[in-house]
Amino acid sequence: MEMMLYFHAMGLRRKDLSFLQSGKAVEDNVNDVMGDYSEEDDSESVSESESDQEDVKLAEPSKTAIYNREGLVEKCEDISWPENVGWMHKLSLDVDQEKEVDVNDDLARELAFFTQALEGTRAAFDKFQSMGLPFLRPPDYYAEMVKTDAHMQKVKGKLLAQKRQIEESEERRKARDAKRIAKEVQAEKLKERAKQKKQEIEEVKKWRKQRQQSGFKDGKDGMPDLGFENGKAFERSSKKRPGVSRGDRSGGKAKQGGGKSNNKNKKNREFRNSKFGFGGRKGMKKQNTAEMTNDVLAFNKSNAAGNRKRKR
Amino acid sequence: MGKKRKHSETQAVEPKKKDEGAPERPKRTLMGWKDKEEVQAQTDSNSESPQVFRNKEKVMVTCSRRINYRYRHLMLNLVSLLPHCKKDNKVESRSSKGATLNELIELRGCSSALFFECRKHQDLYMWMARCPNGPSVKFLVNAVHTMEELKLTGNHLKGSRPLLTFSRNFEKDAHWKLLKEMIIQIFGTPKEHRKSKPYHDHVFVFSIVDDHIWFRNYQISVPHNESDKMVRGGLDKMTLVEVGPRFCLNPIKIFAGSFGGPTLYENPFYVSPNQIRALEKRKKAGKYAKKVKAKTRRKMHEQSNPLEPDEFADMWRE
Repeated sequence: MEMMLYFHAMGLRRKDLSFLQSGKAVEDNVNDVMGDYSEEDDSESVSESESDQEDVKLAEPSKTAIYNREGLVEKCEDISWPENVGWMHKLSLDVDQEKEVDVNDDLARELAFFTQALEGTRAAFDKFQSMGLPFLRPPDYYAEMVKTDAHMQKVKGKLLAQKRQIEESEERRKARDAKRIAKEVQAEKLKERAKQKKQEIEEVKKWRKQRQQSGFKDGKDGMPDLGFENGKAFERSSKKRPGVSRGDRSGGKAKQGGGKSNNKNKKNREFRNSKFGFGGRKGMKKQNTAEMTNDVLAFNKSNAAGNRKRKR
Repeated sequence: MGKKRKHSETQAVEPKKKDEGAPERPKRTLMGWKDKEEVQAQTDSNSESPQVFRNKEKVMVTCSRRINYRYRHLMLNLVSLLPHCKKDNKVESRSSKGATLNELIELRGCSSALFFECRKHQDLYMWMARCPNGPSVKFLVNAVHTMEELKLTGNHLKGSRPLLTFSRNFEKDAHWKLLKEMIIQIFGTPKEHRKSKPYHDHVFVFSIVDDHIWFRNYQISVPHNESDKMVRGGLDKMTLVEVGPRFCLNPIKIFAGSFGGPTLYENPFYVSPNQIRALEKRKKAGKYAKKVKAKTRRKMHEQSNPLEPDEFADMWRE
């Protein structure tokens, strides 16, 4: 997944153009056909309509391209190490490339390089196994690395940030979807209720009309079946609505916080209770009892003039 | 001193072998030049020969003045990747470049050089040369990504010997073979080098796509279960993480001498970046003229092929 992320965000500055994609000249044709194809590579992007000019222009210089095959071979022999040098000195591997890779397709090209490296490593591993030499680094071997630890920390930070971003966006999306669904469900429910209400009203009207028509004769038989007998009519829905008792000192927040903070809150509450005394019920200080309502004489007459703040 | 002796022997042998009808080159062994029959006879004794091949390659890495920051970091990354290199100061003049550089290389006692030349603060050319009289190659470098990019997450031991992988197309032609040889010698860390570390935990990839040499560097990472054991069945779970840097080389010319000499190979498809930029500008310059021409062309066309009168043209006219 990291590789995918990387490739998507990678912007190669180099854009290579082959104007005639079908008939690409390979190095073998260098000596024969040089003027037909042109290829540009540059550090900026070049538009394709230059191809006409380029073809004509490069026909001439291409022909003067030198290819001294014998000289090349000679030089190669000059500099190469003798043939019976062990492979251990060179450590070079040749990997087959099955198919042609389009240069401009970033992902395919990088994949080709990756597979080449992987196959090469496997082959090398086999060779090392056969020679009995250590190959991979054991995990407890600590030595200086090519990138500093600080740099690797930065890399790790960036990767974590990316992961967190993805997760957050996922969560946001899920929350949005859930909210939408919940809204729909709620709308459905309201509609249901309204319908039910309307239906019941209709039924009552019908019953009344029926009774009217039949002249108020019937006794109990004509009562509409409104469900009074079932005993369910005056029951409230069993769902608990949020509410707190009158004496609750916690402001309605005692129930919240589930299991996470329950233990902590309880400990806290007990500690505070032991230190400051139990708080007691809230707001029951000034309530009239049966005796006090008739006890007008218990008012303090002397304070009547003393309290200036009281509004007159 | 196997290396030096080889070169001097080459000098002695070459003039004799110049003619076309010469027999094929005698087989070269650790001890020098020998005819093929002698080699057959001596294959047994060779393995017990006291002289062992030692890779005494030293690479000098320098750059020109006025180099870009990105290319400077690329150069520094390469310096950290090659423990057998020596970094030198910036080289000044451009005029007598070849001679100066050759002298510098001799002075430092190196056998090869990587020279980064930055022109106009934009284009990077890389020279790969073998010092005394070896071939040299000039490349144009594109698509540079340094190791400091945070998207390249791998890491490996500094100085461990790399595995070099080449794609098959390196065998297809002579100049690619020469380049492959040079790359092996320059980018491969010598075996018992002072600064080299054991174990092989990274891989270089050189592959030819679209006539360019692409370079990648991967870390070999295997999930370790037990602490000590070398991984047995872990070959399948081996993954590669990219360490960087990345670049793409476009060969321009191959010279027979070091930083000069007769040209052995010239890339027919190479267009210099200056030319490309000039063409861009020229194309943009002609935009207005082309538009005017297109307009007149259209007018002529319309005049020469008049439209038939439309039968429905008067339908809605009251």
